[in-house]
Amino acid sequence: MLNNFCSPNLTCTNPKKTFRKSSRIILIRELIIIAQKIMKDFRLFDIYDFLTDDDFIRWVQEAKKEDNEFWNNWLAQHPDKHLTIEEARRILQILTPRKSAIDDLEKEIEVKKLLDTIGAQPIDQPEPRVLHISHNKKWWYAAAVFFIALAATISYFVLTRNATAGKFDYTSVTPSKQLVENVNSSANPVRLVLPDESIVELSAGSRIAYGNNFDSSQTRDVYLSGEATFTVVKNPAHPFRVFANEIVTKVLGTTFTVRSFNKDSIIQVTVRTGKVSVYSQENTSNSETGMPNQLGGIILTVNQELLYKKSNREFKKTLLQNPVVITRDTVDQKTMVYDDAPLEKVFAQLSKIYGVSIVYDNDLMKKCTVTADLRSEAFYRKLDLICKAIGANYEIIDGQVVIQSNGCE
Amino acid sequence: MLGTDLLKRLQQNDSGALAALMGLYYDDLHNYGARFTADEALVKDCIQEIFISLWQRRETADTILSPKFYLLRAIKNKILKSLHKNNRTAFPNKEYDFSYELSIEEIIIEKQVNEEKIQKLRKTIELLTKKQKEIVYLKYYHHLDHTQIAELMNVTRQTVYNLLHETLHKLRSLLKADFIAQ
Repeated sequence: MLNNFCSPNLTCTNPKKTFRKSSRIILIRELIIIAQKIMKDFRLFDIYDFLTDDDFIRWVQEAKKEDNEFWNNWLAQHPDKHLTIEEARRILQILTPRKSAIDDLEKEIEVKKLLDTIGAQPIDQPEPRVLHISHNKKWWYAAAVFFIALAATISYFVLTRNATAGKFDYTSVTPSKQLVENVNSSANPVRLVLPDESIVELSAGSRIAYGNNFDSSQTRDVYLSGEATFTVVKNPAHPFRVFANEIVTKVLGTTFTVRSFNKDSIIQVTVRTGKVSVYSQENTSNSETGMPNQLGGIILTVNQELLYKKSNREFKKTLLQNPVVITRDTVDQKTMVYDDAPLEKVFAQLSKIYGVSIVYDNDLMKKCTVTADLRSEAFYRKLDLICKAIGANYEIIDGQVVIQSNGCE
Repeated sequence: MLGTDLLKRLQQNDSGALAALMGLYYDDLHNYGARFTADEALVKDCIQEIFISLWQRRETADTILSPKFYLLRAIKNKILKSLHKNNRTAFPNKEYDFSYELSIEEIIIEKQVNEEKIQKLRKTIELLTKKQKEIVYLKYYHHLDHTQIAELMNVTRQTVYNLLHETLHKLRSLLKADFIAQ
């Protein structure tokens, strides 16, 4: 049974059922297999897509002639998928248990036993696998004609589609909106330049669309499915907005990443430089979901990240797993060697270098000093070392570092 | 499909069709059943009983959409029920054994991996949960779809998807760690 046929961003119909082999229709069967595979876009498949795909599984496990031909051919055309497919094959080989077969004689005995029990006449030579079932000849011929026609139609569409093959396919997302769309179906990120000179780095398996009046409209609107990093040219008069499912990220001029694949349960917005405002398009009040609606917005600054859970509309503002240094001034970094330095100074520098806000009770902790070399440590490690030195704990609340301590002696 | 054709004939009181169905699905049933218990006699008896029941309800045989799924579900239920009866454990006890070994022989031969790595791989594979093992088995041995697997395991489709992907992730990182030098 071939279900779940299509990668998330393609619309296609359900395939016809495959039919039992018979000398009349082996050709048809091959055509059907090819036709069905054409409707899927294996180029967008990651290793888990292959591992759960019925066609791929059948090829690895059964190595039928028509499957071998198809896949070897496809691999020749897409050598970039070699490694992924090799890895998938290996995992599949491990996952597929050896076929077991009960001894034929044993089976015969069981069958005889069964028939005895139900009081039927035992059959002389039970050969369950060899059964002749007659077909209506006319029906098969009709089906053959139909599938030849179907395959022909599909090949026509495939050929015309392949004529414009390349990294980017230009199709309109919705005919009602006049949109320009860019699709990245390769396995590597792709760099695009928008009409306003903003730069988009589009990740693998992602697509982005914008109106062809992009440059002249009040807001610079972009629609995203997948993941992209934006470096937006500053233009306060025309805010730049990224629509990813129900989350809208609005900026004036900055660098940030939005991740929103259909298969993800969480939408992620990460800020590298500048500031963005994130809000939900769901028109509900603050109290219901906690997420501000269009009128308000959560502000994300550098090294901060917003995680939005689609299922229950929960959101969380937090720091990046690995915050990056934002000052270009290397002098600041060099000074992160402390010898009995007052805590206030240490936190001030840390805050400045990473652009992260650190909240602590200055009065309570004014006796605390730090002796440590923090130059080559990652942000959280620096925090750990400082807190260890002064006997404090920290917590990330709402994208800020909050220090808890009882003070120092 | 051959199975559904046989069901049609079964409906017409053809005992030959019953025999054919047993011959067709015996291996699959035995393979699945034997994973719940080492009691060979029990597995065989249960298979007999299932086909007897099938014969008894042959009049409505055409309501069975997938004979393979129908039979697999029947064998699991029957065996687990028997096991519960014998142990007098409180019903419904969701816990049951499921034995499943992954086949790493091919990898060993192909890649000529050393003994230590093999042991490590085997041990880590054993750490898969029983649920994960059963889901992987049902998908890659019997080629059931997610809806069927969900029904057999008495979980949601989403759970099947999640557990399956968890297992694939685990295996993948395992293999990467051990075989990355290849």
